[in-house]
This record gives sequence, C-alpha cells and structure tokens, in this order.
Amino acid sequence: MHSEETVDPSQVILWSDDYEGHDPISTRTFGFWMYVLSDGMLFATLFAAYGVLSYSHSYYTGPTPAQFVAPWYTFIQTMALFLSVLAYGFAMTALKNGNKAGVINAIIAAMVLGGVFIGLDIHDVLRMIRIGATPETSGGLSAFYALTQVHAAHIFVGLLWMLVMLYQILRQGFSEDVVGRLLSLRMFWQFQAVMWVFIYVFVYLWGYMS
Amino acid sequence: MSHGHSNPIHHPEVQMASRRNYLTGFVIASLLMFAATWLVSAQALAPFGLLLAIMGCAGFAVIAQVYFLLHIDISEHNIWNTVALVMFIPLFVITIGLTWWMFSQLYLRTMPMIPGMPGMH
Amino acid sequence: MLVNVPGPWSPLLGRLALSEIPYKNLILAPLFVVIVLVAIALIAGITYYGKWRYLWKEWFTTVDHKKLGIMYIILGLVMLFRGFIDGLMIRTQQALAVGPGNNGMKAMGAIHGYLTPFHFGQIYSAHGLIMILLAATPLLVGIMNIIVPLQIGARDMAYPYLNALGFWITAAAVFLIMISLFVGDFSHNGWFGYAPIFEMAYSPGVGVDYWIWTLELIALGTTLGSINFLATVVKMRAPGMTWGRLPVFTWSAVTANIIALTSFPCLQVALALVAADRYLGTHFFTAGFGGNLMLYTNLFWLWGHPEVYFVIIPAFGMLSEIIPAFSEKPIFGYTAMVLATFAIGGVSWIVWLHHFFTMGMGPYVSTEFSIATMLVGIPTGVKVFNWAATMYRGRLSFSAAMTWAIGALFLLLIGGLSGMMLSIPAINYMVHNSVFVVAHFHMMLLCIVYAVFGAVIFWFPKIYGFKLNEAWAKIMFWLFSGGTFLVFFPMFMLGFMGETRRLDWPFNPQWAPWFDVQEVGIFVYVLSVLAFVWMLYVSIRDRSQNRVHSADAWGTSRSLEWLTDTPVPFYNFAMVPHINARDEVAWRREHGFLESNPDHFKAIHMPNNTPMALYIGATTFVLGFALTWRIWWLSIAALVLSVLLMIFRSNRGDPGYVISAREMEELDRESKAHMQEKPALPLPQGGFAGGTATAYSPLPHNNSPSGGTPPSSGQAL
Repeated sequence: MHSEETVDPSQVILWSDDYEGHDPISTRTFGFWMYVLSDGMLFATLFAAYGVLSYSHSYYTGPTPAQFVAPWYTFIQTMALFLSVLAYGFAMTALKNGNKAGVINAIIAAMVLGGVFIGLDIHDVLRMIRIGATPETSGGLSAFYALTQVHAAHIFVGLLWMLVMLYQILRQGFSEDVVGRLLSLRMFWQFQAVMWVFIYVFVYLWGYMS
Repeated sequence: MSHGHSNPIHHPEVQMASRRNYLTGFVIASLLMFAATWLVSAQALAPFGLLLAIMGCAGFAVIAQVYFLLHIDISEHNIWNTVALVMFIPLFVITIGLTWWMFSQLYLRTMPMIPGMPGMH
Repeated sequence: MLVNVPGPWSPLLGRLALSEIPYKNLILAPLFVVIVLVAIALIAGITYYGKWRYLWKEWFTTVDHKKLGIMYIILGLVMLFRGFIDGLMIRTQQALAVGPGNNGMKAMGAIHGYLTPFHFGQIYSAHGLIMILLAATPLLVGIMNIIVPLQIGARDMAYPYLNALGFWITAAAVFLIMISLFVGDFSHNGWFGYAPIFEMAYSPGVGVDYWIWTLELIALGTTLGSINFLATVVKMRAPGMTWGRLPVFTWSAVTANIIALTSFPCLQVALALVAADRYLGTHFFTAGFGGNLMLYTNLFWLWGHPEVYFVIIPAFGMLSEIIPAFSEKPIFGYTAMVLATFAIGGVSWIVWLHHFFTMGMGPYVSTEFSIATMLVGIPTGVKVFNWAATMYRGRLSFSAAMTWAIGALFLLLIGGLSGMMLSIPAINYMVHNSVFVVAHFHMMLLCIVYAVFGAVIFWFPKIYGFKLNEAWAKIMFWLFSGGTFLVFFPMFMLGFMGETRRLDWPFNPQWAPWFDVQEVGIFVYVLSVLAFVWMLYVSIRDRSQNRVHSADAWGTSRSLEWLTDTPVPFYNFAMVPHINARDEVAWRREHGFLESNPDHFKAIHMPNNTPMALYIGATTFVLGFALTWRIWWLSIAALVLSVLLMIFRSNRGDPGYVISAREMEELDRESKAHMQEKPALPLPQGGFAGGTATAYSPLPHNNSPSGGTPPSSGQAL
C-alpha cells in the first residue's frame, strides 16, 4: 500500500495541470451511446411483450401475421433503411475529409431513403387497416403495432434530426458541437438498422412463417 | 471550447469512418436479409430448421452491423462503448428470455393448448 | 382510434370542468386554501425582499451540479413530508375504522373511519409513488449530484445542461402529482397499479392518467440523470483517480445509475402500453381480446425490482462514507465492497418475479427466482460484515451522522432477514399481499431514509459551511427510531395475523390494539418531523458558532470532496487535484500535504446558466397535464414547443465562459479567506468531540498497515 513507502514531498504531484484537456467530443458520444443502449432496452422490453402476446390465443379472433405480412414488401423497406444508413456512412467519410458538400449531399440522400422507409411503412399500415388488422383487434396485433411503429417513430425523429443538422452545418460549419452531434446521429441511425434486423426477422418473417 | 483538438474534424472518432467498412457491413447485412426473406417466402426448410436459419441470419447481420458500422471493437477510442454494450447484452437476454420462459410456463398451466404445439402461434 | 371517454369532453378543455375541482371535500378544500395562502405569502415575501432576480439567476437557471443537487434535496424533502402526511392519514383511517361496527364520519361520507374507500385508495397510491419515486429518488439523486463530481475531482457533471433538464422534468412530475390533489383525482390502484383495474372500463376517471404521466416524467428525468452520472464518472475523473481509487460512494453511484439506465426504459414501456390501452383502445393488458394482464405486472417489476436497488445502493454508499469517517479507519475490504455492490446490481436483474410468486407459473420458474433472491443476501451480508469490521477496533465517535448510519444497519438487518423469509415461495404464498410485506419493504426504505439523514448531516457542512445541530439531530434520531419501532413492529404482527394491504376498513376487532400502537407510533414520527424542523432552525440560528473553518469539516474524513474549500466554491477545485491514493484526503493528512495549496493556477472553462431547461421542464408538465385531461391541441402544442425549444437550444449552443488564471487565483484567495475567517468565540476545531484532529501525525508513519489508519490502532493490531 501507498503508506508503506516513504513519500518524498518534492516528488509528489498534488495538483494537476492537464485536467482541462478533457475531450468533449468523446464525452458527448459516450453519453449518447449509453442513451442508445437504453433505447435498446426499450426495444427489448417491447420484444418481451411481443413474445408474450404472440401466442395463437393472443390474436383472439383477428388475423395473425401469417395473414397480413408481405415478406418481399418489407424486404424493400429493409433495403431502403440499409441504404439510408449506408448513405449516412458516406456522410461520415466525407466529414473525415472536411468535404462540406459531400456531407450535405449524403445526408440528403439518407433523408430521402429514410423518407421512403417511412412512406412504405405508412402504406403498409394503411393496407393492414383496410384488411381489418388494426391495433384494437387483439393483444397480439397491439404488440405487433407497438414494436413496428415505435421503430418508425425513431426513424421519424432521426429524419427531423438530420434536417436540424443540415441547418447547423450550413450555419456553423464543422464546429465541435456540430461534429459531435453528427457522430451521435451516426450511432442513432445505425442502431435503428440493427433494431430493424431484429424486428424484420423476429416479427415479420417469424410471424409470416408460423 | 476546443480542448486540445484544434480542428474537430481531426478527432479520432471522425477519422475512424471508413467507406470500406460501411460498404462491407451493408453488403453482408443485405445479403443475409435477402437470404432470410427467400428462405421464408419459399418455405425452403422445415419450420424448425427455418427458424434456426433465419435466427442465424439475424445474428450474423447484427454482428456485422455492430462491428463494421458502429465501430464496436477494443481500440482505445471505442473501448468504453464496447464495455457498455457488453454490459447491456446480458440484460437484453434476461429481459426477453426470462419473460418468455415465465409466460410459456404460465400458459402451459393456464391456457388450453394443443399438445406438441411450439411456443409461439 | 381514440377511445371515447365517459362523461363530457370538449375540444377546448378536454375533460376539464369546474366539477372536477373537489371544493366540497372537507380535507382538500381547506388544504387548498392553506396552500394558496402559503404560496401568496411566499411570493409576497420574495417580492418584498426583492429576491426574484436572485432566485432566477442563481437557482432557476443554474447548471451548477451543487445547486441542482440542493434543489433535488429540497424537492425530495417536500415530497417526503407530503408522503408522510399521506402515511399519517392512512394510519389514522385504519385506527378509526378498525372493528366490525359502522363507525364512519358521516360528514365525510365515509362508512368506516373518516375516508371514503376511493379517497383512501388515492392516498394509499400516492403515498407509495411519492415515497419511492418523488422522495427517495430525488433525495438520492440530489446527494449523488452534489457529491459524485466532488469525489472524482470534476468541475461539474459531464453535461451540466442535461443535469438541469433532468431536474426540471422531475420537478414537472412533482407538480403534476401535486396538482392531482386539487384538479381531478389520483389513481386508486396502488402505486404499482393493477391490471386490468387501471383499464378505461374500470377506472374511467383521470386518476390513472395522472399516475401514468407522473411516472413517465420521473422515468425520463431519472434516465437523463443516469446517463449524466455514468459519463461523468467514466470521462471526467481527475488525473490519478484510477478505478481502484474511486470512493465507495462513487462506485455505488455508478452501480445505481447503471441500474437506472437499464431499467427505467422498462417502466416507460410498461406505462406507455397502459396509456395505449387507455387512449388508443389497444389490448395489451385487458383480460380478453388476447391481452395478458400479468404481462403488465411482469413489465412493471422488470423495472420495479432494479429500481428498489437503485434506491438502496446509493444508501449503502453513504454508509460506506460515514462509517469510516467516524471510525477513523479506511473502509474494510474495499475491493469486496465494490464487488458486492456490483453483485447486488447484477442480481437485481434476475429476481423480479418474487413480487408475483403467486402468478402460477409453476415450480421451475419459482425456484430460479427464489434462489436468485436468496443470492442477494450474500453480497449484502458481505457489506454488513465489512461495515462491522470497519468499526471493529476503530476510534468510534457517535456523532449524529454515525448514529443514523448505525440505525440504518439495524433496519437493514431486520429488513434483510424478513426479505430472506419472503424469498421462500412457500412462505411468500402465505404472506403474499399482507402487511408483512409492507413492513419488510418499509424496513428497507427506512434504511435508505436513515442513510440519507446521516448523509445530509455528514455532508451539510461541506455545502453550507456550518454543521447541523448535533443534539437535535440525535433527538430526531431517537424520536424517528421510536416511531419506526412502534409503527412497523405491529405491522409485522398484523401481517402474520392476516391483514392484507390497502384495507380502508380492517374489519377484525382483534387487530385494534395493534392499530392503536401504530397510531401512537405515527405521532412519535410527527414529533421527529418537528425535531427536524427545529434542528434546521437552531442550526441556521447558531450558524456562526457552528462554522467550519477548514476544508475537512469532521477532521477525520477521507475522500476527495473534503479537499476543496468549505463551502464548495462554484468551480469546485481551484486547481484540480492529482490523485495519489485511494483515500486522497486521508493520505494527504497522513503525509502532511493537507495544508499545501497550489502554487499556480490555470484558466478554466465553465458553462453558462440557461433558462432553457426550465422552459422545457414546464412544457413537459403542460404535456402531462394536457394528456391527462385529453386536451389534444394543448398536448400537441406542448410537444411541438418542447421540440422547438430543444432545437433552438441546440442551434445556439453554449460557448461557456472562461475564468483566467489570474481571476482564478483571486477567487481562490477570497474563498480561502472566507473559509478561515475566525468567529468571535474560540471554538474547538477539527472534528467531532474526541480529539480526532490529533489522531494523525503530520509525518508519514511507516508502521501503519494501510491508508489512514490511526497509528495507535495500527500498532495494536
């Protein structure tokens, strides 16, 4: 232990000179990553609820996913989201070189593709409502809608955020705040793709096959 | 308010972006999702095998995305993100797994079920 | 899509109507008048003394972690008082209503006692919700807010603005639950809610909606706070503050906030699904239509059990700071202590089913959760033995803070052992939903309250520069302990005699004597509340005599928060210390560095104050209120406004301001001069009675076994 050695007062450092050099960008992204993980917990809870509410008796007398899921349609949605995430990745590689036009173009592309995802989702919901698969029909459908539409809400928030970021890039350029936010948005957007893989496979595909 | 990094673009978390990684992640995840969709829509396997196959697709797609896109590795700048993720994963598993187990046992005892029926649907 | 509500609804005011204001209620109407009068007096007083500007500039817009922490603690104490009054009303109702007869007060419309069952249910629910989420949580978050940055040598939290936002959202939750007293009703389904009683068909009023949005707001505020704590500890530690040197309280804050971060989303989901059932007509928790009402209980306790450890673990951390300081020994088994904290945090995630063992999921599931629950006893036992071993052969001084800490250990023992009983499914089936369970968790929560009072007394001089009155703090302790004994030991008995929870009418006349004892106990509690108020009054009155003139208020404290000036200046540390040992202050004291000041200063960067957090908190309150009353236009307006405010704040950013090295030197000199300014009367300095200041030699002692162990006891070992 420390007290067993003799302490030479001239050798001891009591006050630190380099504390003020904390890295605000990493602090911001680390905190945001923890938010993202707690968001993952939110999805995990919804998955738990979906698991409990996807037995045959959970659908009451209403339709089951096997009757209304269209796998290839949702696959197109999946591709729109993956491409949007890829486009946002290209925004990040453009940012690496300080290429402002490249960042803006890539974010616009990511927004368009994200918009396609939302559009397809709304279209799908309207189709389901037409065939009588509404959230009020049964507990199983409530859980189905909760999981898919909470994800869609995240996509919507991401699009809004991208819009704000476009404005901030034009106004402030690549300031420390803007760069930190772009990095956080990258994690948020990529994480939505990760969550979508689970939703697509375990809600849409698994629902369709059973 | 720049501390040490005069230009935020030179921050290591910006510089770790990689076109090649993002493309690799995208291609792997897309191919796996395509495979899963095809397997399911063509009913290419028996139900249980199909389930395992699409679970495998999901697992590898997620690993690819987490590694190539989210930069989850043990380099100096990402280690804390990795630690946080590793801490969370058991909790995701517990939340979903124990809930499903608990309610499958409950349904076994309280719901009229056809014998031999799998847990879901 | 939207559910039709029974009763009138208008687009402009939603369900809000004059008839929703209970002005005929004989309890609420006078209370409303009193609160309005107090509010007018408060506003008039602030205006008269011209303090609005001060309040606005120094408190309402602050992003300083210490001021936010103080506001959290004030909020927590106010709500502790409100929850206590609820408890007083519950006890009085049961004492009056017990027995077979028709003994109700006709004036109140009650058949038994003085409260109608509906009113009693609301009080019961509010008591539980307030005590756990709006009293214990803000108190603990407030203390963590103040102490954690100081213990790791940080200037502030990682995100000062987010900290303010978390506070104001919590405050919005408090305002929402308080307004439910006077506008409409509160939920009568218990603090955790029962499915499907909270469904629209069975609870058509607004009470459940108030309950939902209050919980959602507090969950949001706490999640934001937990992110902030974790980022602070991971990213903002002073140089040399390695993980192995982190004070135990900070370790417990880390564990607690990991729990909060991971579990609060579950609560948010559970309640959002209840809201979906009530507002959108979905069938998550309905009894029919494929819903599953036990799913709600599951999702709630998925959060609920980690939450109870979220509140107990910081309390353990506080005990781990108080006991070593007043035993003049380093904490026994630091590593074991930290590992035990994490073990409790980990196990907290696999035990939640013990809240509903009687669900009927069969023996396998019960066994797993039963064994996991018993496992909690191992790390908790490790902690209790570590505290005992810390005290063993220490130089104990029974100051007020230490008295509260030791009291907490006794309650922990009783609560823990009764918890071990409850972890056995066979016993749990017998006492399920009885007041035995209620008595058990009150022991645990009172353990937290004891630790919090100890911590407030312990850290008070650090923040305000003077000590609280020791004698009155001890009188309060004994009164409080008397109340605890008289209220909760009969409750254990009543649990065994079969009294279930939430009885507005305890019908069995044999219970009557125990209720009378409890009623006496609750009035002993009333005395302890008065003693608390008197303690504050006496302490503030005599503050010049109780001034602390050194950084280290008790003379025997160990961790980093005692290194900076007393009271703590807004920049925390003039120069951030370089950490050399686990108990830095004890180490510096032992090696004679305690008085050495930095010889040069550096420019520091501080965040600006901002009213934005207050504005966003206000919009969340409006959002919660509008959703409760189904005023759709107002809900949308509040939501859009809060998003716009966030975007506005984001666009503007905060450049902060810089204090130059020269100004810093000046500030430090002023702060030190203020601290060392001597009073007129010569008073004994440096610690509590017992001559603790002489326990350490300023020279290094090679023969002491570790940290800051007093040399004498070191040799004796």
